[in-house]
Amino acid sequence: MASTDNVVVRSGSVGYKRNEPLLSGVNFTFNPGEIIAINGASGIGKTTLLKTLAGLLEPLEGDVNVFGKSKPRRGEVGYIPQRLGLIRHASVLHNVMLGARAGHTSAWFPFSRSCRKFSDNAIDSVGILQKLRTPVRKLSGGQQRRVAVARTLAQQPRLILADEFLAELDEETLEMVMKVVLDYVSENNAIMILVEHDFERAKRMANRLFTAKGGELVEIFDF
Amino acid sequence: MRTLSAITSLWYQWRWLGIFIILLSLAIGVTNSAIEGNWEKLFDSPRNVQTFFTESLWPPDWSVLEPQAYPVCEESGWLDFTCSTAWIGLLETLKIAFVATVFGMLISYPIALMAAENLSPAWISYPARALLAALRSLPSILWAVLFVIMIGLGPLAGIMAMTLYTIGYLGKLQYEVIEGVAQPQLDASRAMGHGWLERSFGVILPESANNLISQAVFMFEYNFRHGTVIGIVGAGGIGYYINLYLKFLQYDKVFAYVIVIFVVVLILDVLSKYARSLFNDDKVRKKHPWWTILLPSSITQKLEEE
Repeated sequence: MASTDNVVVRSGSVGYKRNEPLLSGVNFTFNPGEIIAINGASGIGKTTLLKTLAGLLEPLEGDVNVFGKSKPRRGEVGYIPQRLGLIRHASVLHNVMLGARAGHTSAWFPFSRSCRKFSDNAIDSVGILQKLRTPVRKLSGGQQRRVAVARTLAQQPRLILADEFLAELDEETLEMVMKVVLDYVSENNAIMILVEHDFERAKRMANRLFTAKGGELVEIFDF
Repeated sequence: MRTLSAITSLWYQWRWLGIFIILLSLAIGVTNSAIEGNWEKLFDSPRNVQTFFTESLWPPDWSVLEPQAYPVCEESGWLDFTCSTAWIGLLETLKIAFVATVFGMLISYPIALMAAENLSPAWISYPARALLAALRSLPSILWAVLFVIMIGLGPLAGIMAMTLYTIGYLGKLQYEVIEGVAQPQLDASRAMGHGWLERSFGVILPESANNLISQAVFMFEYNFRHGTVIGIVGAGGIGYYINLYLKFLQYDKVFAYVIVIFVVVLILDVLSKYARSLFNDDKVRKKHPWWTILLPSSITQKLEEE
């Protein structure tokens, strides 16, 4: 049952061409506090599903309901694309402030003093406060991933969509980032949907595990 | 069947030479029809050039760098060249190019944002593209003629003409850069719920700033080179003096102006290359002597690879 608290898809079909859906017959209800991991072969439609939930693509068929609406409102969704979507020539602070502004201001007046506080806290939580003014292009791959996570944390979204966001992280940083994100989800009762190929890692983070196979999305674990 | 396959394989092997020969024959054919078979005219031209060069152009008359008789020069000593027509014209051309580039850049960016297909819907982007194309379709010299008619002789006509052309030319370069901004950046911004203005100035502008600045520096250099031409129709700058001496058939003075312009273009080229390298990327570039700008870019690239 769709409500303003959950994410519901009924008989959903996602893809780029109407006659060639990547995933069809998708049905799920995700409730606050849940972390959902999706795995499956490349090109099977996992990223397309995330994009549809983020409101970037229209579903080919069926109903997609994100917090009671067919498209999420400003600041409700934090999206970490596979290639991160950071502004390479801008500083870490600028990138994270973009998230903070989306989450805490209106589109008509995207300025607020509190944004800086949210940004600093988020950057500090992923351990790159000393890189505040550094252009993103000068950071290593792992550090850039942490910036993308900080951008989402500063935004404080109700739904986090993360596409392989733990790749390229060393073991120590991975533990730290995982803890920060898990704490955020449990403290804010948010929903997180992540695409993750590493089964062990997915099991550690998520409480529900789905696999995309043969054009369908199947739940394989509910921990 | 075997013959056909042999011909195909022969064509495949020599296709580039074949295409080159076809294009060359076509060019010679078109030239022949344009000059109505009068090839002697072409073969006589080196002799004419030699006569013109030795009798009219050489040596250049450097009096263009001397102070004008009126108004009386107030500078003394080695600074008196600042009262010369070459210096005054040059400075005016540089000013026209600078102002036109700044105004052109500021006006073209919002139009380029509207013209970019990844930011604006088709009903906004197509009219914006048409506007830029319209501004670009007239070369700056024709804009200058129109503005001289409308607002009279002088640098203001030059500034307006150059600004309009800059908007058209720079706007096209800018929307192409904007359309080149990677999709994940735009996806993340859209998913967060950024508005059009926020996305344009918070995401697109910083992401493409290096390219935009590099293009503006290039445009300034381009405007200076064209600024020398628009003076000919009375829109101010060094071209005004060139036109004056052309009318009096004083080609040695014209030649001196041309040399002055050439030197300034060389200096601007070096400065613009350096300025653009500051904004291009973080790669540590090998610094080469200034004269490498005279080499074809393929050779410069080879030097950089070494």
